[in-house]
Amino acid sequence: MDRNSTGLVFVLPALIVLAMLIAYPVAYTGLLSVTDRQGAFVGLDNFNAVLGARATPQAFWNTLWFVGGSIVFQVVLGTAAAILLNQNFVGRGIVRSITLLPWVVPGIVAATTWAWMFHTEFGIINYMMTGAGVIPEPIGWLTNGSTVMPVLIAINVWKLFPFVAIMVLAGLQSIPNDLYEAARVDGANFWQEVFHIMLPQVRSVIVAVTLLLVIWGLNSITIIYAITRGGPANRTLITPIQIFRLAFESTNFNQAAALSVMFFAVALVIVIIYIKALASTPGEAK
Amino acid sequence: MKLKKLAVMATAMTMLASGVAFAGDVTWWTPNFNEARAREIVAKFEKANPDVKVKLEITTSDGLPQRVLTALQSGAAPEVIDVQHAWINGYAQNDLVLPVDDVLKDRDDYIPAALDYATWNSKLWGIPYRIETHAIIYNKGAFKDAGLDPAKPPLTWDELVAAAKTLSKGKLSGFGITGGGEMGNTIFRSLPFIWMNGGDIISADGKKALVNQPAAVAAVKFYTDFFKNKQAPASTLENDGTALRRLFIAETVAAYQSGQFDIASIKKENPKIDIGVMQIPHPADKKTAALLGGWSFVIPKSAKNPTDAKKLVGFLAEAENQGALTDTFPARKSAMSLPRFSDPILTVFKEMLPYGRAVPNNKNWVQITQAYFDGIQRILLGDEDVQKSMDGAAKDIQALLDQK
Repeated sequence: MDRNSTGLVFVLPALIVLAMLIAYPVAYTGLLSVTDRQGAFVGLDNFNAVLGARATPQAFWNTLWFVGGSIVFQVVLGTAAAILLNQNFVGRGIVRSITLLPWVVPGIVAATTWAWMFHTEFGIINYMMTGAGVIPEPIGWLTNGSTVMPVLIAINVWKLFPFVAIMVLAGLQSIPNDLYEAARVDGANFWQEVFHIMLPQVRSVIVAVTLLLVIWGLNSITIIYAITRGGPANRTLITPIQIFRLAFESTNFNQAAALSVMFFAVALVIVIIYIKALASTPGEAK
Repeated sequence: MKLKKLAVMATAMTMLASGVAFAGDVTWWTPNFNEARAREIVAKFEKANPDVKVKLEITTSDGLPQRVLTALQSGAAPEVIDVQHAWINGYAQNDLVLPVDDVLKDRDDYIPAALDYATWNSKLWGIPYRIETHAIIYNKGAFKDAGLDPAKPPLTWDELVAAAKTLSKGKLSGFGITGGGEMGNTIFRSLPFIWMNGGDIISADGKKALVNQPAAVAAVKFYTDFFKNKQAPASTLENDGTALRRLFIAETVAAYQSGQFDIASIKKENPKIDIGVMQIPHPADKKTAALLGGWSFVIPKSAKNPTDAKKLVGFLAEAENQGALTDTFPARKSAMSLPRFSDPILTVFKEMLPYGRAVPNNKNWVQITQAYFDGIQRILLGDEDVQKSMDGAAKDIQALLDQK
């Protein structure tokens, strides 16, 4: 036995556990996607049925819109918040803790609370806006086809930007003071520090966090499901919710598996493109 | 020594995780609204069957379908589960529950529509114990204020529309409809209008979508027009049954469809409201209809102790026990004579029962209703008119029916 195969023997138990926990569900999903309820092989019937449904393309575009819209604002807002929280001011510790709150609140609690706040009749948002005369009559935030998706994106941004902020803040704090001192000697102002020291130094953090946000976004169900269940008329239906509906509401595990397989492929492509395009172009701004 | 401890712990954990039942143990999942009554019945059952121990687990109706399905699929299910009638067929077709023909006694004593739900492949897959239909709950005071006679509620569609129009003033909506939240709530409320007009969502043989036929389209138009004509609340697209009840309690909705289970909470939260109940109005020359809902017992295929499970279900199916357990009405006619069902406010709900119908048995029923529900929402959103929206729904439904 050479060194390599001895090593293999040592990692084998761990590999077996991993295989059971990861490979088995993946393989089983693949198997489900090409069989019917009784387990008979049906080829691509499930894929055809899912692709033929009107909701599928709509859900796909909604997913891109929801994930893309959320991430842009999460990253921009999160980074801005981090830069702000990195400054010296009185009560910084308290503000830092408060900023984290949305991230700490359980998703389902936050979603339900927001759903009531945006409710047409009982919601505090309509109450305050009509009271202050900003809008003449209550707006159906969650029932109007043009406002519902932006509202959900806003809630999702609110929920996750603190995570970006805290990660970027950690990155900012590891920047050596020499850099700032050198810049100040050269007469750099605050904005020049932001764009030439802070952002380049935390670039790798932002790239990694964004990747996480993409993966979480593509898998997110809680907020939308708890607030609109994908409605009205599928305006906020995203693919993960469609999969959930097929499997757990319609008990059609085979079609749900087929959709999962396709969604997995799309997600994989998106993640690979992202890594290729962003994560592996090192040092251009250093 | 340490290893032995670990082994014992590991075994204990596995047993906890898989919910292993010992011989003579029966685990019964029942929803929280049944808890108090279920405990009494369990005590009675254990007295009569000292060798069987019943472990009661309380479920909540929110998210219950997913929870039950996960338990059934995982192979570690309890012995007896309370489920809604309409879920049973999916379980039967996926081979997840046991047939219970041998448990059912006095078949003729059951309301036929309740047994229809639990039947598939000419076998019975669940024992119904609770049934209910909707009627219309209305605010007698609001009727009086609008100059209507609360003792003579509307009987026909035209009369209901006229009443809703008269009642809708300022903050008050005449007739609340659902168009959001839990999808089943909207099916429950709108499908009876299609039925009483002679239409249906799909044909009886399950081959053809009928939702864009004139009878169905007229009924959907009748239903959604309450919103379009501002006789239903502006929040209709986010309202389910619970939201309507809250609006009724807040006296911003004068009438809405619901079951008798809403009465207690209305009385408690707003005792000022003088509650009236009327039958669901029908087209002038036709009879009313309602969707029969309720709960049944199923025995999972993976139950560890099916023998005692059947013993328990058989006991629960006795008329007296059904009458004691149900929150609404019992599925057996003979249990209906119990004193608790003679409260006058229940009269109209009882009158509606014979008009109750089961939803069709189709393996894609949930997806079919989803397509229909999306269509309703497109109408309420103003995206499409009724005919166009129902044409789209019919196309989606037909595709589901054509699947093998």
